Amino acid sequence: MINNVTESGLQRRADLISARKNAYFRRVRKIKRIITHLVLILVAMFAVFPIYYIIVNSLSPLATLASVSVTSMLPILSRISFGNYQALFVFQHGVLLRTWLTNTLIYAGTSSLLGIALSITSGIGLSRFRIPGRKAILYMLLILSTFPFVIMVIPFYDMFSTLHLTNSYIGLIIPYSASAVIFAAWMNKNYVDSIPRDFEEAAQIDGYSRTQALFRILVPMTKPVIILTLLLAFFGPYTDYALINVLVSKNSLWNMALGMYATTQISSHAINYGMFSAFAVIMGLPIFIIFIIFQKYLVSGFSITMYK
Amino acid sequence: MFRSKPNVNGVRARYEWKGMIFILPVLVVLAFLDFYPLGISIFLSLTNRSIAHLFVYQIVGLRNYAAIIGSGTLFKILEQTAVWSTGSIVLMAGFGFLLALLMTQPGISGSRIYRTSYLVPWAYPAFITILVWKGLLDYQLGFVNKFLALFGISKIFWLGLPSMAMLSMMIVNLWLSFPYYTYVYTASLQSVPKELYDAAKMDGYGTFGVLGNVTLPLLKRQIAFITVFGFVFTWNNFYIPFLLTNGGPGTSTYILVSYTYYEQTALLQYGIASAYAIISVLFLLVFVILINRYTKMMSVLY
Repeated sequence: MINNVTESGLQRRADLISARKNAYFRRVRKIKRIITHLVLILVAMFAVFPIYYIIVNSLSPLATLASVSVTSMLPILSRISFGNYQALFVFQHGVLLRTWLTNTLIYAGTSSLLGIALSITSGIGLSRFRIPGRKAILYMLLILSTFPFVIMVIPFYDMFSTLHLTNSYIGLIIPYSASAVIFAAWMNKNYVDSIPRDFEEAAQIDGYSRTQALFRILVPMTKPVIILTLLLAFFGPYTDYALINVLVSKNSLWNMALGMYATTQISSHAINYGMFSAFAVIMGLPIFIIFIIFQKYLVSGFSITMYK
Repeated sequence: MFRSKPNVNGVRARYEWKGMIFILPVLVVLAFLDFYPLGISIFLSLTNRSIAHLFVYQIVGLRNYAAIIGSGTLFKILEQTAVWSTGSIVLMAGFGFLLALLMTQPGISGSRIYRTSYLVPWAYPAFITILVWKGLLDYQLGFVNKFLALFGISKIFWLGLPSMAMLSMMIVNLWLSFPYYTYVYTASLQSVPKELYDAAKMDGYGTFGVLGNVTLPLLKRQIAFITVFGFVFTWNNFYIPFLLTNGGPGTSTYILVSYTYYEQTALLQYGIASAYAIISVLFLLVFVILINRYTKMMSVLY
């Protein structure tokens, strides 16, 4: 009966209901959070596992892919051996690791430095000057990024063999730096666009000429994009396979990607999987470490310079 | 092109030729290492050049194009390329966006650890990790099948059946690319002002209501741009089809790029290969122009 229910009784009932409701919502939120973490942890395992797999394999005395098993994946310290790494540095099965490592560093180092040095002013030119045909150049840079590299392979081979540049360092450094110039110009331009003009104008009021102001004030301010493009220009040639495979035939001029493919992938099952794993670690880990160190530039810089 | 444009005051502003010096390397590269080779490529697609006609070859007009259309190979490869690009982008962009939504929830502890571990596939060179995945997915000896056996699941032909091979390529592409999509979508989600979310919550919208009425409409253009260029990049992605399956089994996983490369380096049919490359470029250009007409996504660039 409604008359029997006192005022305070109603209040108590309302409190009880809202407390139950709160508890319910808290439980839902808790379950939601647990599911979120579960998903995030599973994805993290999916992301990390292949790298863990290759590192463990490189440190265990494996013969072939057949000897990889679920139990051999467990991290047991006493099983660690460096035999695969030692084997890699001794010349056997046609592995010229030291030569390929040197070549890779020459290709990637020279072409990234050259390409980025040549494109250091291009962002300023495209962003700050009223150049004839500016829009056309920008559209061309953007459209070129949709072209597959395979369209260039045969023409490059023709051009460089006419110039006697196949099987040479220069014949590879030229196309590598050229592609660096193109994407670096685009990224540089977008980055300079995001810098207000006030800085160079202030410098001009202080008595610098325009060129001086651009070089002394604006160029130092583009440091983040220079680091970003330098790294990207280094990563490209470091793992190039498709172009160098066409332009170079001597194995003394191979890079690590060609060397790895030729010595560990051609006959699939018979290969020494431990050696492949060690190769994968030696070749990949330096890039991985550089990426993690410079992740600030690579991850955030990417979105600033590709689109705003 | 050489006429100067009027500026704001109606006075004809002069072109600054000095700026040309700043972009001289870009112009040289564009002319000699992009347009000249491109011209050669277009020319070669109109010739019968191949290993048999290496130095002495004739212009055959559009016969290469007619041949690859007539043989049906083009449509098969085109279909595979479309399946590969669409499937990949749906998986990658969808997964990346979901993950970004999960990570930007307020009060998720340990998100730094998650973010760092998601960087791993992006940071390790793809050339190597694709070969690692090839070993992982091996039918007889691969770790994935050995692991699934623990749960009583029988061995799966990851790379040996046409449909499974295409799916495996997409899974590997998902592994390689989801970090990128997660990061860019996280960045764009964080660019939405927090007050808008609070206001929408006040109005009584649930999680999906906020997503559909606030987040998506605001980020429409950015998402379109990221997704379309992801599609273009996937269309031209060479290393996954080349290293993981190398077109096999049969020709069921060739896409335009890897098939062009195969024509160039294995069949040595340079004229035909160039025709494939040109067709691929034409498709992408039409695609990007059409999409841009409807979404105006290029406006995020200017």
